[in-house]
Amino acid sequence: MQATTSLASPATVARTSPRGLSRQIRRRHTRVGLLFVSPWIIGFLAFFVYPFFATLYYSFTNFNGVQTAHVIGFTNYVNLFHDPLFKTSLFNTFYYTACELPLSTVVALGLALLLNMEVKGRAIYRTVFYIPSIVPTVASCLIFVWIFNPASGIVNDLLTGAHLPGPNWFFSIAWSKPSFILLGLWGLGQPMVIYLAGLQSVPREMYEVVNLDGAKPWQRLRYVTLPMLTPVILFNVILQLVLCIAYFTQAQVIENADVGGPGTSTWFYVQYLYQEAFEYLKFGYSSAMAFCLFVISALIMVALFKSSSRWVYYASEQQ
Amino acid sequence: MNHRGGEAADAVERSNGARSHRRKWLKQRRLAKVTTAIATAAVVSAVGMGSAAVANASVVNLTWWTMWSGSTLQLLNQMTTQFNKTHPGIHVTETNIPSVATTSTAKLLASIAAGDPPDIFTEWWPEIGEFAADGDLDSLNPYLTGPYSGFEKWEYPVAVQGGTYKKQLYAVPMGLNSWALYYNKSILTKAGVTTAPKTLAQLDSDSAKEWVVTNGKIQQIGLYPDTAGNGFLFYASFFNALNCFNSAGKYAYESCPGAKTLMNWIASFDKYPYAQLQAMQTAAGTVAGGQTDLFTAGKQGFFLSGPWEGAQNIPQSGGKGLQGAFGVIPFPGTVGAPSTIGQGNFNIVPKGSAHPQQAFEFMSWLAGYQNEAFMGTIDPKGGWVPGGPSVTKQPAYQAWLKANPWLDPFLPQMTSPYSQAPALTPTQAEVFNAMNTATANVLQKIQTPAQALQYIDQQGNS
Repeated sequence: MQATTSLASPATVARTSPRGLSRQIRRRHTRVGLLFVSPWIIGFLAFFVYPFFATLYYSFTNFNGVQTAHVIGFTNYVNLFHDPLFKTSLFNTFYYTACELPLSTVVALGLALLLNMEVKGRAIYRTVFYIPSIVPTVASCLIFVWIFNPASGIVNDLLTGAHLPGPNWFFSIAWSKPSFILLGLWGLGQPMVIYLAGLQSVPREMYEVVNLDGAKPWQRLRYVTLPMLTPVILFNVILQLVLCIAYFTQAQVIENADVGGPGTSTWFYVQYLYQEAFEYLKFGYSSAMAFCLFVISALIMVALFKSSSRWVYYASEQQ
Repeated sequence: MNHRGGEAADAVERSNGARSHRRKWLKQRRLAKVTTAIATAAVVSAVGMGSAAVANASVVNLTWWTMWSGSTLQLLNQMTTQFNKTHPGIHVTETNIPSVATTSTAKLLASIAAGDPPDIFTEWWPEIGEFAADGDLDSLNPYLTGPYSGFEKWEYPVAVQGGTYKKQLYAVPMGLNSWALYYNKSILTKAGVTTAPKTLAQLDSDSAKEWVVTNGKIQQIGLYPDTAGNGFLFYASFFNALNCFNSAGKYAYESCPGAKTLMNWIASFDKYPYAQLQAMQTAAGTVAGGQTDLFTAGKQGFFLSGPWEGAQNIPQSGGKGLQGAFGVIPFPGTVGAPSTIGQGNFNIVPKGSAHPQQAFEFMSWLAGYQNEAFMGTIDPKGGWVPGGPSVTKQPAYQAWLKANPWLDPFLPQMTSPYSQAPALTPTQAEVFNAMNTATANVLQKIQTPAQALQYIDQQGNS
């Protein structure tokens, strides 16, 4: 029998050589990987990318939700910057954010520190402090309005009993925003749990080392706990920032017929956007509002991330 | 041939083969039977469906989205059942769409955009102008022919006005609202007043006597022009301040004499603590699922409301103390005669509705057109003023009026020349909200009356 040999083509050599084989395998892996990720990609394109660019387009039109949109240039943006309610709603939203964000961080962290202590019944305390965050939002709003009702609520009854003046809470221009801030502080269970998880990841050896140096509790907190928690703080701050900027449900439920609250003191940005879109059918105008909100939020996030390099300590980067 | 075992083996083999063949045959037979049964069932059901389809092809199915629940929904169900019974060619299916803020509007818009709207939609009137201006509604004018050519004449004038935009009829009232002044007899008596007020000055004076404040806390109020959201708009017809437009067709409340008088009158109440009053109203509103207001709770001496207050709210909120202890008078406004604002809940036909003609037939039937006898029995249960006066002449409606003399002021106002419906405009919803905000701002001294009227004009003309 005569052995025959034939010269393989370059393509065949490329395919079958060790390098070629690994490229083939890589391509196959890539295809399979993309296939597995495709549901997310499709969802991302359909529910984020498309609506984002659609909103941007509609912000330059007079779209009313049903009829064909006609491009009107920058008219919506010009009207927006001359709209007093736009400024009012932006002010209210950032007032709320500026107060709620630091307060919620301090309160949630404080609660987590307390609930991390080795005390009897710790599990019960943790449960009790977490429960408010799982009460449905609408229910908690109605409870708060009832409790804080200046005419018949228990809070003002207690204040009156203690010979203290009871404010008009949600019905007062001066106290309406603080009332919403209090409502927000009531439901801090989730950031508290995240801080608790972060506290568990602080290495015990670090506490042992500083204890050997005679550190006091405040010094332990300042030089060990807080620095080690900064990544978790950053995470929670970002989450809370998003919730504050997009504040809507609570205001809508509590204000009910008195939209905007007393003297538009609790007229939040997303509420105004919603009213323009779904009550006044001005989808073009509300799209302009939405895009403005996106730009403002993006700027804040960029600033936050840029600042994080100065105050966030990642232990893994040090190793 | 199996050469092992000889004939016996052959016989066994033949027998096995035969059994196997028989099993196969039985299996095939079973399969055939099952297949035949399925095919037969499919054919029969297809024929049946086809027959049903043929039979139903002559029945027009209408979908009706409404916003009501509770006892009102039950009345709607009675009405739908009666209509379906008496109109075999049309079948109406009602779907409840909760009207939470703008939820129902958003659903309606989405359905129109998707090309699948309901045939009829019940809408709170402020948005009708917007919908009509944006082309989201079907005009009903093409159907005002034949038996319906007299429909607009049959309706109350304010009903036609409230449903017409640019000379096209777009909406038919489900039930109209008529507003008058309720008064609590015992509060009035305790305030030292023997007769109900007949003029605005008397009303102001009597109302002031009814306010009771103890240790800085309000215990009882007289009249307050922003209870339960009833602000500028609902008093406007009594001051000839409802439709104020300039020659260019723009809103002009700032220069409207009636509007100035009304807003200054509202400002006279700024001496009362707004925040406390809102809190009291909220507290009252959380009782009995929101059916209670300060008047039904027996804490308010004068209250502007409609027939539903006495027909539903007072009985249902447990305000038994008010049964028979309240009266109703026309609001003593400045126009010198009874009047009311003509508004209410209207039915509309969204653009793209599959059966607009049949939808209009149903809507006009609901209003009471050519259906007076039945609606004469239903409207009293809802405390409704019907779309046309002939319904109120029906024996059942007359019996209701006779049994409840407090209803006397409501109907004559519907045909008063001073009664008006708010003009349908593309910014009607903005104007409505602006009026509420303006009222609240004046009562809280945030804006002067002039500034408040300017604000309304700005919002309406935006």
